[in-house]
Amino acid sequence: MDTKATAVYFYYPDDDSIINLDKNDLEQFSEKQSLVKAIWNSKNLPSKDINSLADEIKRNNIERIVIAGLKPGFRKSFFAEAMLKAGNKLEDLVLADFGQYCNGGTRNQEIAKSMLFCAFNNVPFEHGFQPDTNTVKPETLVIGGGITGIQASLEVADSNNKVFLIEKTGTIGGHMAMFDKTFPTLDCAACILTPKMVEIGQHPNIELITYSEVIDVKGEPGNYQVKILKKARRVDLSTCIGCGICSEKCPSKTLSEFDAGTTLRKAIYIPFPQAVPNKYLIDAESCIYVKNGKCGVCAKVCPAKCIDLDQKDEVIEISVGNIIVATGFQTFDAKRIERFGYGRFPNVLTSLEFERLVNASGPTSGNITYRTKDKKGNQIFEPGSGEPSKFAIIHCVGSRDRNYNNYCSRVCCMYSLKLAHLIKEKIPEAVVYEYFIDMRAFGKGYEEFYQRIKEEDVNIIRGKTARVEKSENGIKLRSEDIINDRIIEQEVDMVILSVGLEARSDADKLMKTLNISKTEDGWYKESNSTFDGETTLSGGITIAGACQGPKDIPDSVAQGASAASKVIQSIMKNKINQNIKDISLSKVEKRVEDFQK
Amino acid sequence: MKNELKIFKNNGEQKMRQTVNTKFKQELKEFGVGNWNACFNCGNCTAICGLTENGFLFPRKSIQSIQMGLKENLEKSVDPWLCYYCGECSDTCPRDANPGELMMSLRRYLTSTYDWTGLSKKFYTSKFWEIGFIAFFGAAIIAAFLIFLPPSQRVYSNPEAFVNDQGGVMINSMVDGISSTQFIKIIEYGDWTMAIIVALLLISNIFRMFYKVILKDKSIHIPFFAYFTEFFQLIYNFLTQARFSKCEKKSYWVGHLLLMTGYTIMFMVIVVLLPEFQIEEVKPWYHWQRILGYYATFGILYFLIIAAIERLRKSDIKFKFSHESDWLFIIMLGLTTITGILINIFRLAGMPVLTYYMFVLHLAILVPMIIVEVPFSKWSHLAYRPFAIYFAKLKKASYAQQAIKSQLLTT
Repeated sequence: MDTKATAVYFYYPDDDSIINLDKNDLEQFSEKQSLVKAIWNSKNLPSKDINSLADEIKRNNIERIVIAGLKPGFRKSFFAEAMLKAGNKLEDLVLADFGQYCNGGTRNQEIAKSMLFCAFNNVPFEHGFQPDTNTVKPETLVIGGGITGIQASLEVADSNNKVFLIEKTGTIGGHMAMFDKTFPTLDCAACILTPKMVEIGQHPNIELITYSEVIDVKGEPGNYQVKILKKARRVDLSTCIGCGICSEKCPSKTLSEFDAGTTLRKAIYIPFPQAVPNKYLIDAESCIYVKNGKCGVCAKVCPAKCIDLDQKDEVIEISVGNIIVATGFQTFDAKRIERFGYGRFPNVLTSLEFERLVNASGPTSGNITYRTKDKKGNQIFEPGSGEPSKFAIIHCVGSRDRNYNNYCSRVCCMYSLKLAHLIKEKIPEAVVYEYFIDMRAFGKGYEEFYQRIKEEDVNIIRGKTARVEKSENGIKLRSEDIINDRIIEQEVDMVILSVGLEARSDADKLMKTLNISKTEDGWYKESNSTFDGETTLSGGITIAGACQGPKDIPDSVAQGASAASKVIQSIMKNKINQNIKDISLSKVEKRVEDFQK
Repeated sequence: MKNELKIFKNNGEQKMRQTVNTKFKQELKEFGVGNWNACFNCGNCTAICGLTENGFLFPRKSIQSIQMGLKENLEKSVDPWLCYYCGECSDTCPRDANPGELMMSLRRYLTSTYDWTGLSKKFYTSKFWEIGFIAFFGAAIIAAFLIFLPPSQRVYSNPEAFVNDQGGVMINSMVDGISSTQFIKIIEYGDWTMAIIVALLLISNIFRMFYKVILKDKSIHIPFFAYFTEFFQLIYNFLTQARFSKCEKKSYWVGHLLLMTGYTIMFMVIVVLLPEFQIEEVKPWYHWQRILGYYATFGILYFLIIAAIERLRKSDIKFKFSHESDWLFIIMLGLTTITGILINIFRLAGMPVLTYYMFVLHLAILVPMIIVEVPFSKWSHLAYRPFAIYFAKLKKASYAQQAIKSQLLTT
């Protein structure tokens, strides 16, 4: 039995709203523990000086220090030095990071106390609680039909288990379907994605539910009841033959989501030619009939009579054992950085828009042209508007910037290099400038790809662009060329902003529905970032792909498969961990005692 | 050919001689906030600044020099003086490294390196030194007046005797046994003494700046004629602060110009034109001395009120971090202005006692402020800034010559 006199120091950074704990209660709990001799926080710490703190530790015969709170590691070096000076061992400095398991939920306080209790007894929290297990229903729900969701669904389905794949839009495919090529191999994205999409559509174990959203989750790990809102598609999936006459006749136009808003589509539409399911749907927001009850042209011309304009949303309920969340990301809204001129100048594009422009299935069949404004003020690509010859690609737009997102979005460097290559491929005489801060080519084959692009005569400049302004002959950029110690003022025809990745704006809603948590960046939180990047504190709910953090395609696929393996494990064992967040203090106390024996 | 090769050799030497000074960062911390470790050298600050040009790539290069501990690099640089702190770099800095405030801290540091007495560093890094010095000087002036130029006893018993027909206090005739012409002479000699001391200190510091920036920098060779052809830049920039007007936020320039012109006019009036200014007769409101006085008061007050409000509100990044010297400047100048206004009010209202004591108080604030601030502290930038622009132009002329020479060398 471990009986070391312990001091506990509570550390919280300025913004600790993410854990939402009653700090006084925790201090009172610590006071009741027989081992705890001193309770410190930022206000009553005996000394801010290491030497006098060490004296204090010696004088009170303190043998162990627990740093508890949010990100307690920030204070570790300070206390470590004091401990060493006081003649104690470093292994008696224990951290209890509430941020790891507390997510602001109702049982927060209990979890924090359990963590404190484990820390006082120097028992790793992971040993202190081993959650009970439930039996598992073999059905699995996958939320999100991007490449991660597709991969995870196929993996689970191939193990002969039923999968429900839910997708919010009219088709699966996600962001990857919008891309032209993948880095670093320059494979055609559609060519490697569409076979998988078709496989999803034809797989006997997969039930694909598109144009739907999860609205409620009840039950417990291994047996969740999930309510799904099926938005009215207004086209019958079983009878639609995809002939397209309806779309031809439809009078209403709106910006196409698939083309990143760079072209127009009809109100009744198929997202893209390879969509799965390859059936039409009606967008209620732009449909004239839905808005004011007049029109209905599509229903009249449909040869299969599959259009039901008065269809209503419906709610279905399914029962599943596991849930895989693969909801992905959204790109950073470049309008937030006014000085880059996005939204003001038509030829300042986001990378996603340029990806569509350069794509053979895009608005200009892959010809790079200027963007123009149509009569309604929409900035769209229309064929025949001339070919730009000078391009600038600006890295780190909205990433690695404390004013926007502090983190690195991981994919932008590589996709920017890829875009430079695609420009050079389409217009060999084009001049391409890349403005970067640091080049992050970290993956397999990435560094080689970077060197290859350099050899393709792309001008790669180290220095963040500060301003994008209109000039006589196009667009003027001002930046510092750090390597060569000079200011560069460059005139170009087209600017591509390499926008970063962000958690989806509706990620919080789903987070609450599923009762999982997020990190301060907004990404869903895994239970352990090193060893357990897929599971969450809620048993039976795994996360994968870019909803857990910015990721490129190979990493997303890998994590999708990895999440699937967790699901398959639990189904095969017919055992699933209960929620870590439902842990109770009495159980932990008992386990810690058992552990120490 | 010989000459050109020498240039390159010198360049090489200069680079090799740089040593990393590990204590430098600690030294610099005393001059203001320092968050330079946050900087990842992206170059956004340099690019967003409208005043940067090739050869003068601040703030990033200055920050990099701090990060690497290249003290010599910074001491020979004029870059901090070329920045007017509009705050745009700090606003858009992706790392919150606050380059604008770093440049401000560097200006404080450079001021202390130009000063040979060592007082500047003491004033900037210790409140007690600066306030103590001012308090000591102020007390000395009050004592000198009360001992050597005390007001006549009749000021208390028969104040009407000191009020002239126009109802104004006869400010120069309140000391027994000293005529009004003698009194004004004494004050004038005092003013000139102060001005000459301050000027000598400042000029010697400017020479040290010249030595550090131009003479010591062996990598540059200033074409001789440039010293004359660029000299008008100095005068022009001192008078108009044209460079400041190139900043994004023009209102700062207007405010600063009002302060500068107001202050300079007031200084000229109290030193050069004192016999015309401090007179017994009350001139009509449209007389030049009153107009100038009102303009100066307005200019200084306008600046001070805005600066004080902004520094308290801290809404603009430029005013978020206030060093003690920033506040001391506002407070001292504010008190000087307020006492000056009060002298005027009491004088015109015919209140001799209050006029006399307010006059003494005014000098007890004004004189130490000028002695401390002009050569050693914040005010010194009135000379360093225009000279820095002049030196920068000289350096540019040298770069241009070198570029021509190296072009000749390669072709």
